[in-house]
Amino acid sequence: MSNVLEVRDVAKYFGGVRALDGVSLSVPEKGLIGLIGPNGSGKTTLFNVITGFYVPDKGSVWFKESEDMVRIDGLNPNEVFRRGIVRTFQIPRLFNSLTVLENLLVTPPGQKGESITKALFIKSWSDEEREFARRAINLLRLFGMSRYVDSKIYELSAAHIKMLETMRGLMTPAKLYLLDEPAAGVDYPVARELFTYVRRLREEQELTFLIIEHRLEILMEFVDYVYVLHNGKLLSEGRPQEVISDPKVIEAYIGV
Amino acid sequence: MIGFDVVGFLVSWLTLFGIYSILSISLNVESGVAGITNFGKVVFYGIGAYMSAAITTYLILILNGVDVDKTPPYNVNGVILLGQLGNKDPLLNLGLLVLSLILAFVIAGLVGYLLTYPILRVGPAFVGFTLLSSGELLRIFLLHYEPVGASKGLMAIPTPFGWMPDSRARDIAYLGLVLGFLALTYVITNKLVNSPLGRTLKAVRDDEIAALCLGKHVPRIKATILFTGSGFTGVAGVLLAYYLTSVNPNMFVPAVTFNAWAMIILGGFGNLRGSLLGAAVITFVDRVLTFVTPYLGVTVISPDYLRWVIVGLLIVVVLLVNPKGLLPERPIKTPATKEVWKELQGEASEQRS
Repeated sequence: MSNVLEVRDVAKYFGGVRALDGVSLSVPEKGLIGLIGPNGSGKTTLFNVITGFYVPDKGSVWFKESEDMVRIDGLNPNEVFRRGIVRTFQIPRLFNSLTVLENLLVTPPGQKGESITKALFIKSWSDEEREFARRAINLLRLFGMSRYVDSKIYELSAAHIKMLETMRGLMTPAKLYLLDEPAAGVDYPVARELFTYVRRLREEQELTFLIIEHRLEILMEFVDYVYVLHNGKLLSEGRPQEVISDPKVIEAYIGV
Repeated sequence: MIGFDVVGFLVSWLTLFGIYSILSISLNVESGVAGITNFGKVVFYGIGAYMSAAITTYLILILNGVDVDKTPPYNVNGVILLGQLGNKDPLLNLGLLVLSLILAFVIAGLVGYLLTYPILRVGPAFVGFTLLSSGELLRIFLLHYEPVGASKGLMAIPTPFGWMPDSRARDIAYLGLVLGFLALTYVITNKLVNSPLGRTLKAVRDDEIAALCLGKHVPRIKATILFTGSGFTGVAGVLLAYYLTSVNPNMFVPAVTFNAWAMIILGGFGNLRGSLLGAAVITFVDRVLTFVTPYLGVTVISPDYLRWVIVGLLIVVVLLVNPKGLLPERPIKTPATKEVWKELQGEASEQRS
């Protein structure tokens, strides 16, 4: 199976800190890939490099675009997004004065009703908006949040905000989703629901996921391949069972 | 208070209310909904007013065969001629109104677009300052630009309904025109706000970076909104010039902009009906003071200053009671949101039973 994303020998330094130090990894099409590692190991920095928030100091990032791999490092976040990579943030950035439903509906890019001339004619955009609303309702039900449809963001709990951030990512059509700790702060059954949904999306719609997660007990059950980062370097990789029993990984996590 | 002219008061209040509402509604779309700090509302207002004043006075003189090189509309003879020639032909006057409105909308809109497109890349405070100083630049330019009368401005502007013999009928017809444009502005902006565009504008206002990450074309969206908002402001300027029948540079001071800001802060930031309410309250205070002044005789404080004191006091009181203004912002209503709400509410009641 061909790769949809390739990170080749990427390095990112902040002063003397080597946040990423020669990391290479690849994400195959329709993959459900985990990215784990202790705090400060460079997981989020890697996401930032992939999505254009940082320009790598060394190495390159490649993304599959109609059968060819195209280099995407150095593009700005907006351009990376339009090529089909959506990410969620570890610290959610939601639109605080909008309601939960509005946060979801505003997300899909290039909506018909966003054009000033079409916005005047409800008929020209209402069908498209209904489709988005369908998707939003499904997500709200899945996460058990349909009660909060009209709530403002400041009325939500931290877990709900986290879930909404993930839902917002899933509202957006993309080829590759980068989820940054989707299960953090979310209770166990809902977190499992989330991963089940992700797996279903992967199978039904042929989407690809790269997921950072600290809650290994859930992650390991669902992903088919795991990369482990430690101090900006790739420490280990493999199937969940292999990685979890790798002495190097255990050492890094326990922090001997 | 014998002889208080109630109808005259209502007509003048509602006319000013209509003109200022167009201003406050468009400002509310730009600043309340889209989060653009527009401190330069007066630029587009002034452009609209001067545009209609210049077009009307010059064209009326030229079409009546007057040599405007010798008797331009701003000198004494020009003003006298305008008074004699200006109100004869209804078709000409109405035609000039239409021409002014179209040109004012397009030119004010284009100026808004050009002025803001490059500066939208800097922070909101800088947008505000740039627009604020543009307003002053325009005023100083007008103060020294001879063809539009420099410091004297243009006077005796023939009005669209000037040919009507009865002055009350003329005022009421003009009121109808203003309220018609107010309705048009309200309907259009209301449609724009209650659409995916309005939602995106609010998202950009809340967090521009996050909106960029979601692939929103932030600069383009803001520039189009400024085009539309400034266009409507230009229309309000046209209506003002015909209402007062004169324009001069000192009408277009930054206070005009801040008056419109006071209206939307009082009425409700991001709520279009709030801007109507704010405009109604503030123009009411203004008109009452103007009408009452002659009966007061000598006063300790000039009503001109009293107006600002009252407006300031109103804002403080309202914001203390309700920090979001008289009518707070509401979620955007579209067909889909109504359906979702109905569906999920039905579900909630099922769970309860």
